[in-house]
Amino acid sequence: MIDWSIAVPSFLTALVEWVEAFTIVLAVSLSIGWRAAIGASLVGLLTLAVLTLAAGQVLATGIDIGWIQLVVGVFLMLFGVRWLAKAIARHAGLKALHDEAIEFAHIRAQLGGAQGRGDWLANWLVAYKGVLLEGLEVWLVVVALGMKTTTGIGLVSSGGAALAALVVTCAVGAAVRAPLQRVPENAIKFTVGAMILAFGTYWTLEGIGGAEVWPWSDATLPALVVFYGVAGLGVARLVRTRAVAEMA
Amino acid sequence: MGPFFKTLFGDFHNIAVVAGLVAAETLLLHFGLGRAATVLVPVAAMAGVAWLAARS
Repeated sequence: MIDWSIAVPSFLTALVEWVEAFTIVLAVSLSIGWRAAIGASLVGLLTLAVLTLAAGQVLATGIDIGWIQLVVGVFLMLFGVRWLAKAIARHAGLKALHDEAIEFAHIRAQLGGAQGRGDWLANWLVAYKGVLLEGLEVWLVVVALGMKTTTGIGLVSSGGAALAALVVTCAVGAAVRAPLQRVPENAIKFTVGAMILAFGTYWTLEGIGGAEVWPWSDATLPALVVFYGVAGLGVARLVRTRAVAEMA
Repeated sequence: MGPFFKTLFGDFHNIAVVAGLVAAETLLLHFGLGRAATVLVPVAAMAGVAWLAARS
């Protein structure tokens, strides 16, 4: 049984982050070889798995659900606000769109060749840190959204979706062997930003005021997602108009 | 620690927006304005998003 309201945002979040991590690993692999780059990625993923287990242990200690909702909600708001604002700024032309090819060239220029042992280790650490940092966002969203249900279906849905996104990214990346430029990152970030911000708003308010705060209970979530999506498009248009007017 | 902190929390402005939202939620609920909070908080969140986007 899968909870699609959790699986969809988890998959999209993970897809964007894994694509960015793939670009880093691909760039590093040209310096230290595929085996070492994949090894660094696996160690990064292992670190994330340990973090997930540790989070599960902390949550199993019987902390009040209201506090968990509040903390998780705050983290989701931190992500949602940031992602939606970035996507709006890019949509409005205030910020350049994220281009994996440019990012790839940038990382390659920074790395240079692996001349000695020190360079090799520095390159290896870039791949490890890249997977760990990009994966940290995936981890947070997976754990946070997975908390929606107490039956375990939530974590299975969010974790499964993140793993599915990883498999898709690796499979396409292995086939293409180039930065994955065609993924519509900004549209995904906009959609996921609206979804995550909706979850964050819902949980922080429920965490402070209790379940009775929201008049329609869980049914409020789709309404919040629609609100943030439509309002986000409106803000993007407004910001773009203002920017054009200021330049004229 | 810098990159980890930024990944988890974002920059100062991002934190300020979310802190403001949580403070507003707490105040509204404290004064028994729970129903109003369900409308005002999403609107305030969107205002915060617009501010962050405009200063990009």
